[in-house]
Amino acid sequence: MTLSAYLALALILFCIGLYGALTKRNTVIVLICIELMLNAVNINFVAFAKYGAHPGVHGHVFALFAIAIAAAEAAVGLAALIAFYRNRKTVQVDEANSLKH
Amino acid sequence: MMNLAWVVPLFPLCSFALLLLFGRKWKKASAYVGIVATLLSLLAALGVLAGRLGGTTYEANWTWMQIGDVTLTAGFSVTALNAWMLVVVAFVSWLVHIYSQGYMAGDERFSTFYAYLGLFTFAMLGLVLSPNLLQAYIFWELVGLGSFLLIGFYFYKEEAKAAAKKAFIMTRIGDVGFFIGMLLLFWQTKSFDYDDIFRAVGDGTLSPGMTTLTAILIFIGAIGKSGQFPLHTWLPDAMEGPTPVSALIHAATMVAAGVYLVAALFPLYEASEAAMMTVAVIGGVTAIFAATIGLVQTDIKRVLAYSTISQLGYMMLALGSGSYVAAIFHLTTHAFFKALLFLAAGSVIHAVHTQNIEEMGGLWRRLPWTAPLFLVGALSISGVPLFAGFFSKDEILAAAWLNGSVELFWLAVAAALLTSFYMFRLFFLVFTGEARHDGDAHEAPMSMVGPMVVLGVLSVASGYIQTPWFGSFLGEWLTDGAYHHEAAPGWIAVVATIVSLVGILLAWLMYGKRTVPRDWLSARAPHGYELLRRHYYVDDFYRWTVVALVSFISRLLAYVDRYLVEGIVRLVTGTVSAAASAGSRGQNGQAQTYGAVTVAGLAILVVIFALTGGYWL
Amino acid sequence: MSGTDIAFFLLALAAIAGGVTMLQLTNVVHMVIALVMTFLGIAGLYVLLSAEFVAVVQVLIYSGAITIIMLFAIMLTRHHADDKERQTTGGVWHRAVAAISVLAFGLAVYFGIRRLDFGADGSALAADNAREIGKWLYSYYTIPFEIVSVILLVALIGAIVLAKKDGKGAEDK
Repeated sequence: MTLSAYLALALILFCIGLYGALTKRNTVIVLICIELMLNAVNINFVAFAKYGAHPGVHGHVFALFAIAIAAAEAAVGLAALIAFYRNRKTVQVDEANSLKH
Repeated sequence: MMNLAWVVPLFPLCSFALLLLFGRKWKKASAYVGIVATLLSLLAALGVLAGRLGGTTYEANWTWMQIGDVTLTAGFSVTALNAWMLVVVAFVSWLVHIYSQGYMAGDERFSTFYAYLGLFTFAMLGLVLSPNLLQAYIFWELVGLGSFLLIGFYFYKEEAKAAAKKAFIMTRIGDVGFFIGMLLLFWQTKSFDYDDIFRAVGDGTLSPGMTTLTAILIFIGAIGKSGQFPLHTWLPDAMEGPTPVSALIHAATMVAAGVYLVAALFPLYEASEAAMMTVAVIGGVTAIFAATIGLVQTDIKRVLAYSTISQLGYMMLALGSGSYVAAIFHLTTHAFFKALLFLAAGSVIHAVHTQNIEEMGGLWRRLPWTAPLFLVGALSISGVPLFAGFFSKDEILAAAWLNGSVELFWLAVAAALLTSFYMFRLFFLVFTGEARHDGDAHEAPMSMVGPMVVLGVLSVASGYIQTPWFGSFLGEWLTDGAYHHEAAPGWIAVVATIVSLVGILLAWLMYGKRTVPRDWLSARAPHGYELLRRHYYVDDFYRWTVVALVSFISRLLAYVDRYLVEGIVRLVTGTVSAAASAGSRGQNGQAQTYGAVTVAGLAILVVIFALTGGYWL
Repeated sequence: MSGTDIAFFLLALAAIAGGVTMLQLTNVVHMVIALVMTFLGIAGLYVLLSAEFVAVVQVLIYSGAITIIMLFAIMLTRHHADDKERQTTGGVWHRAVAAISVLAFGLAVYFGIRRLDFGADGSALAADNAREIGKWLYSYYTIPFEIVSVILLVALIGAIVLAKKDGKGAEDK
């Protein structure tokens, strides 16, 4: 398989995640979509590690770092979600509009 | 004393300033401030007059400003003419101040009234003292302002408001003429000073054409101020003001300012045959024109207003006929007897609370002071021998005859007949016959009667300063002794006497004894009567021409403003607010909308990047 | 077509199918489960790319930890598994703008990566790349590694503070 196949796959997943993050109403799903986008990036890292100009495990290391940060982000995001739910009794993202004009 | 002449206008100015600041607190005491200030002015003016009697003309000038090689000066001058005018103005003003104490008693804006009177008196005295045209123009406009404020004193009355505006605008039309004339003179002579202008006229710096033009332009200003035909329509309306104001401003002093201005610039007029002719014709026409309207008016003050216009026409006629002395003489006597008539009319109005002469009558017994004093004024203005008006009017008739303008002479004689007729029509309707009003009529308080008595005495006595019998004091003095009384044919005095007595007799037959029915003439010439009653339709003519045209233009401009200018403004504001509301709709607080917009931007950038071939560079 | 290709296609299909299903479903729990399929597919792809260690971490962290924590979050908050309320925000315009932007972005990038190939065959990667990763991580990448641990600690404490019931009234209860 060539590099571009992996990159194309990553692109498709990224686009799915992006579209979901922009349109889904449930905050949990929005967060998951963001995880999906991060995964697409990880695919790129790993694909470049194998088929890139300088093959090596550095791509893997970066993917691992990204996963670690993603996990932290998921934890903080969900904590924020819980706090939001406690205040507004909802998890719908379009009801978080206190900063409206 | 003459070098202190500048203090004369300062006293009323102080009175104005003080009353403006403390008037509300002082209330009734305001009157005393005004009376004392004008009394001081009067004493100072008498001092100046005394100084001038024993000396010569005094003039003081200071450099006001220097523009290039042109120097504008300010100062004051004491000539025979303005020393005389100072006394007349200060004296009438003082009497009116005293009179107003009774007439205006109880008015809410009592102190304001006195403040305005002070302002007016200041401006009028300043006008008289001015040694140059520019300064005269400034005070001329201040006088107009005082007049405007006082006509509109009862500003809650629609008529008073309209009258004040009308007076201001009508006189302003004349002022434009004055202003242009003044600037033309300045352009030609590089000076506003009377003396410089006269010198320029004398040595031919001013071409004859320019002399005529400037003289007539300045005369237009005088027409506006003195209520001469065709700018006279504001003066009858100005009677909406308080009666003391009518006496002071619209009879004795301000309206005489036009006459004074022409008199002050007399050498300029003398140099131009055409200008003199214009002045004489306008004066003569106005005299007869206003007198005929005065015949049919029913408002006591309006009759007097038309009478004033008519008498001012006489003065202009005198000036135009070359008799400067006769004009000033008549100005003086007129100031006294017309002020007397107005104050007496004010006293009548004060007593019966109406201005309609049809609702008066039988007041002779009720008003034991006012009625005889009014009679004195009426006899004086009618030109009955031995009263002041007789002498001054005789002077004017003689001047017109000697000048060779026969038509104007007979016009003036006819006006004299009408004058005595309408004055006695007024007298008989108001004071004789049975009472046609209800309620009690009381004589006015002493503060009102006192000034009237003084004016009554002067209405007789002021005639003797210039008579064919006892020498012509005024004439000699005004011309510094160069006066020589031209012997007028003796029959002129006889004609004038007969004419005034005939007028009185006719009025008595119609309104006193009633042997001739009142509608004898109006029934025979209903159209003529209607023409007079509607003031020759001059007002209507102005309404249908000038006013209609101006309001058409202004309405047109208003539409341009409303739809074109405002439309553009609305387009701009609309665009901005539409952009703002579109922008604020974007700020809906939805994080996902912000995200979508951001991604759209990113997508656009990436697409542009791809299309411009960024990948294969 | 080699077995690797077939495996790639199957795994890629699984990953994309999971994502598309996630977009189509209405039930939140189902959506998360659909994503698990995507995550597992991606883990398989990592194996194909000779990144066994990363694949294992992917399964552990994504398919395991994050999915579970998401499910916890869903259950802790009010959710209507079977409600008929709409799942997407905004109106048609909002979705249209999002879809067009995403598509345009995807196409533009696709044209960029279409023929991208560095010619490497990946043979350089040793079979025991887990050891290699360990070596690099604890030598060359020590400082980033330590910083990541600090970030995880901060995120942990931050999450606790955020989710903690605030106010004195809560403590009294």
